[in-house]
Amino acid sequence: MILQGTRHDGEIRDRADVVVVGTGAGGGTLAAYLADRGWDVVMLEKGGFFRAEDFSQREEEAMGAFNGRRGLDTTVDNAIFLNYAEAVGGTTVHYWGDSFRTPEDRLERWRRERGLEWMTPAELNPHWDAIERELGIHVAEEELFNENNRLVRQGCEALGVEGHAAPTARVGCIGCGWTQFGCAYNKKSSQLITTIPRVSKAGGRIYSDARVERILLRDGRAAGVEGVLLDRETKRPRSTFRVDAEIVVVAAGALGTAELLLRNFQDDVVGRRFYINPHYWVFADFGREIDNVTGIPCAYVVHEWRLKRTAADGSYAGGGYIMLSSHQSPGITAAMLPETGEAHLARMRKFRHLGSLMSVIDEDHPGRVYLDGGVRKTEYRVRGVDALKAVDFLKNASRIFLAAGAREVWIPDIYGTVVRNEAEVASRITLRSVEPNAQFCAGSHLLGTAPLGADPDDAFAGPTGEAHRVPGLYVADGAALPGSVSVDPSLTIMGVARWIAAGIHERSGRAGA
Amino acid sequence: MTESENNGRIPPGLDRRGFLRMSAGGAAAIALASALPAGCAADYPQAESDGVDLQALTPKEYAVARAAAEALLVGVPVDPAVVARRIDRELALVGDPVREDMKTVLGLMEHLTFLGGRLRRFTALDAPARLAYLHGWRESRFNLRRGAFQAVRAFVYFYAYSDDATRPLTRFTGPWRERISIPATPIDFGEVV
Repeated sequence: MILQGTRHDGEIRDRADVVVVGTGAGGGTLAAYLADRGWDVVMLEKGGFFRAEDFSQREEEAMGAFNGRRGLDTTVDNAIFLNYAEAVGGTTVHYWGDSFRTPEDRLERWRRERGLEWMTPAELNPHWDAIERELGIHVAEEELFNENNRLVRQGCEALGVEGHAAPTARVGCIGCGWTQFGCAYNKKSSQLITTIPRVSKAGGRIYSDARVERILLRDGRAAGVEGVLLDRETKRPRSTFRVDAEIVVVAAGALGTAELLLRNFQDDVVGRRFYINPHYWVFADFGREIDNVTGIPCAYVVHEWRLKRTAADGSYAGGGYIMLSSHQSPGITAAMLPETGEAHLARMRKFRHLGSLMSVIDEDHPGRVYLDGGVRKTEYRVRGVDALKAVDFLKNASRIFLAAGAREVWIPDIYGTVVRNEAEVASRITLRSVEPNAQFCAGSHLLGTAPLGADPDDAFAGPTGEAHRVPGLYVADGAALPGSVSVDPSLTIMGVARWIAAGIHERSGRAGA
Repeated sequence: MTESENNGRIPPGLDRRGFLRMSAGGAAAIALASALPAGCAADYPQAESDGVDLQALTPKEYAVARAAAEALLVGVPVDPAVVARRIDRELALVGDPVREDMKTVLGLMEHLTFLGGRLRRFTALDAPARLAYLHGWRESRFNLRRGAFQAVRAFVYFYAYSDDATRPLTRFTGPWRERISIPATPIDFGEVV
């Protein structure tokens, strides 16, 4: 059953085997695994419940309806836009569906640095196999490539750069291009249309518009949660709820999970590290109309520079990011493009001429999340080697578009930087372009605020996902990951959450694999 | 800038006002923001003349948002009042800390014109002078002023270009749902109440 808190009058009291806070990639995957095996599951979601017919494909409506803080959340210095969803289905409602298994080098690092011995392909592959089947994950078909994707591929091939079609979570996609504002046709395999219905039909209860405020403890052990039901538009409390359960799983996303844990526990590990995979953009003017609106946003991904390269003397020698072909909508594009007044107008007249590439920077330096006067805030500065990676991205993305025939490439910085050839790429793109608030920067892979790890002084939860200091409390979302994945993290989050769920089930002694 | 030069850690507990305090002239600016007159409808009649029932902004803040939109949206077929009204509505819905930060930014934007040697408030400047003033914020060596500019700019351009009136300009054809009826794959959610 799905109960919409915004429509419910009166208090709610419920009891379940497990209560899951959050309904996204982590929470949805974990809840469905347990519900399928006979567990009585309650899920709680701060955001609203939206169905296909609610997705108008209008960016301003989507941003307000199901993005966190109505799509206006930023770091404290306004330098980085934080992009996450608050809706049943979590961030998978607006994600692009890119679905990469965790690279082995990252698993090896987490085994070595965090004591997560179980993080091996052998352990995770069965879970990824199952998730890929359930979500219909497959390599993007050629017909889903829009012209921007094809031009990126063309540029990569001309330069001999490694890239490939992206694995994507969608079934029967019609290529409307509106993935990031919620799929209006139920073709993208978000948690909203995959795991949530499974939980609901297995007898689970999903409460939307339900903000958890307190984690209940009994004899030092997690015993449930309580909070308030919200009016969907104003976010004002309408009534209260309480759910008792022997197992509490927090999977509210790196920001939501950190906020809830900070409100409930004194643990300075929480929020100490905050990874976002900074996104910068370049725009390419092809001097003719190209299609960068339909198809899927990222059918093609550039992997050539995924890992950071280091010179013999230890200095940075390039790389440390992947590139994603990026989708265009007019409002967001207008906010990103440089210039003002008539110069900005001239750029927007070329809206249909623009290709774009976006970075996913595999950062070395995380930020942090904290409470200030009870308000959740975030600090993050792209700095040190990460700023060098950003510049390297801007240069290599420009080269790809120039090789694909772009007349000029725009760096959307406050200087209105334009490059037309290699000499300009080498000389005009510098660190000043990536100083804070010198250009639009965003983070949508929010990770690491309550990480797993063997060391209780450096990890909120142990290797099983259970909190070091609170038995019965688990973390199973992007917050639990120890750091950047170096690719889109959604399939990593799902795989880890499913592994944690399998452990909970196995240790319970219940029947059924 | 080299990596080592750019490797400064973020000071702990730094929020927007902390940033402002740290920057040169920041302490004076924050003091000024606290002391600024709220302005009344008589001083700032724009909201009333636009017929806007303000939900988050004061008449002064609305007038600043509207003036910024007038300066930024040269040749864009969207009424700046529509953009300013949308900003007011969104800030009412999003609440703090976004609302309070944006209100502070708008207040400072109105009164910090003297830093550029101007004797008139932002809303009293003509359009080219407003744009020149905003460019001063854009190119400031202080992150906070750049951030304030970027915030106002992003609000204005996002809400202007998500307006259908800009489609002839961008040749954006709009969402499919406005033009094509395609049924969604049925999903059985079980009971929904």
